[in-house]
Amino acid sequence: MSVAVAERSAAPPQHALRPVISFHGVSKVYPNGTEALRDVDLAIHQGDFCFLVGPSGAGKSTFVRLLIRDEAPSTGRIFIDGQEVSRMSHRKLPKLRRKFGIVFQDYKLLQRRTVAQNVAFALQVTRPGQRHMREKVEEVLWIVGLEDKLDKFPDELSGGEQQRVAIARALVHRPRIFLADEPTGNLDPDTSWGIVQLLLQINHRGTTVLMATHNREVVDLVRRRVIAIDNGRVVRDEAEGQYLREGTATL
Amino acid sequence: MRQILASLWFALHSAGQNFRRNLGVSLAGVFTMALIIFLVGGSLLFTHSVDTVLQGQEQNASHLKIYLSDNASLAAITNFESRLKHDPRVISVTFETKDQAAKQASQNPSIASALDVLGSNPLPASLNLDVKKLTDLSQINNEAKMTPIVDMTTPTDYNSDVISKLNTVITVIQWVGAIIAIILLTISIVIIMNTIRTAVYSRRTEIEIMKLVGATDWFVRWPFILEGMLGGLLAAIFSGAVVFGAYRLFVQAAQGNLLSVPFDARYTITLLIVLLVGGVAVGAFGSFLGVRRFLQA
Repeated sequence: MSVAVAERSAAPPQHALRPVISFHGVSKVYPNGTEALRDVDLAIHQGDFCFLVGPSGAGKSTFVRLLIRDEAPSTGRIFIDGQEVSRMSHRKLPKLRRKFGIVFQDYKLLQRRTVAQNVAFALQVTRPGQRHMREKVEEVLWIVGLEDKLDKFPDELSGGEQQRVAIARALVHRPRIFLADEPTGNLDPDTSWGIVQLLLQINHRGTTVLMATHNREVVDLVRRRVIAIDNGRVVRDEAEGQYLREGTATL
Repeated sequence: MRQILASLWFALHSAGQNFRRNLGVSLAGVFTMALIIFLVGGSLLFTHSVDTVLQGQEQNASHLKIYLSDNASLAAITNFESRLKHDPRVISVTFETKDQAAKQASQNPSIASALDVLGSNPLPASLNLDVKKLTDLSQINNEAKMTPIVDMTTPTDYNSDVISKLNTVITVIQWVGAIIAIILLTISIVIIMNTIRTAVYSRRTEIEIMKLVGATDWFVRWPFILEGMLGGLLAAIFSGAVVFGAYRLFVQAAQGNLLSVPFDARYTITLLIVLLVGGVAVGAFGSFLGVRRFLQA
């Protein structure tokens, strides 16, 4: 494992002119009174690789949902690529979401479609009639290492392989930002490590990656930027952080 | 262009796939809709048939005979006749002389012999009116009675009682038919909405992914709307055929009866087209409502 980290220790490309994601005084209070995020200010630049860490219910998922504008912030402003999304109209959301590639803990694959069809689905519904769809699908499945599983169905694959299909589907339209919400939550340590390697590889190609996770081992091994959220607040933001504050047992 | 065709293909393909995969629910929906369309079509046809029959009765009933006094001058009669002819409520006016009245009456042999015995003609001349609307009849009747040249003993002749009853019946039937049609239409929209909601629910992961990767709302909506339209079309074809068959049987059975119902081909064709278009429209609208909840957020 440590060998793999050594290979990836080269600094990621930094062309930090304008942040690709920025939060300005963002708070989110749900209608039932739950305060999920409080006064969050941060900037993530093109090519960054960030871990978003914190206990369950700390606000990680809310953070992700605000980014893709599944939820709107109660106060504050959020910019993606210089565009304010906090007050974006419903009509513009599809365009916004195409900037993201998103994977979740539960993969969200269509069980009645093959691996290739699952990946192609993302292109079919966003860019119908696109040429060379098959080649694009095969290329992205090659990137995630599933080039020999094109015609398998999701239930014929292992958990790690299913997550790779989800990653391929999220990558096929070449997103600017890759969001992974607990992508290793259902996977054993070795498989998890493989998925993280894949995300690092995607990041190496210039895509901004944001990974919300509980996985302490992974965070501590990779040593990239860590944004720690607890009780809705950003309690720590370190360039090469660890899961817990150095030398303590707290975030 | 290529993009539009591909979208259309995607929508058609998934609509068909959806319909087949949820065949049980789809067919139940189609069947219920067919039943409702059948009831709507049936009640419309029934109303129309009753209407036609009653209107036939109305034609017979919308005559008004104004008896003229023997003293009336020809000039006064001509004047009165032309006034009636220019009345917008009146279709036609014919003048019947005393002789014509006698001739008409003589068709009955006993009256003929009575006339012979009398030697003179006691029957009055008259103006025979056809009136457009039954509802105008009593008013024209009242106006005619005021005219001085009218025979004072028996001024006019029309069957006011039957006519007013007929009028009420026609109005009631038309209203009841319209209300029933509206109620049934609302029910069928609700049914389609729930059928589609079931279909949408079984595909919520797919919709979630579509939204996640940035498909537009209309792209998500179209397959379901097409599915609803397909269901509506099938239901309309099925029930249209049944309504049409039932109508023909009804007309045949009524043939030779007292109230023989004419087969109104033009109305039937219009009705079938309305049922088809209506079925498709209701299907589309129900789907639109059914999928709406899942697109919000």
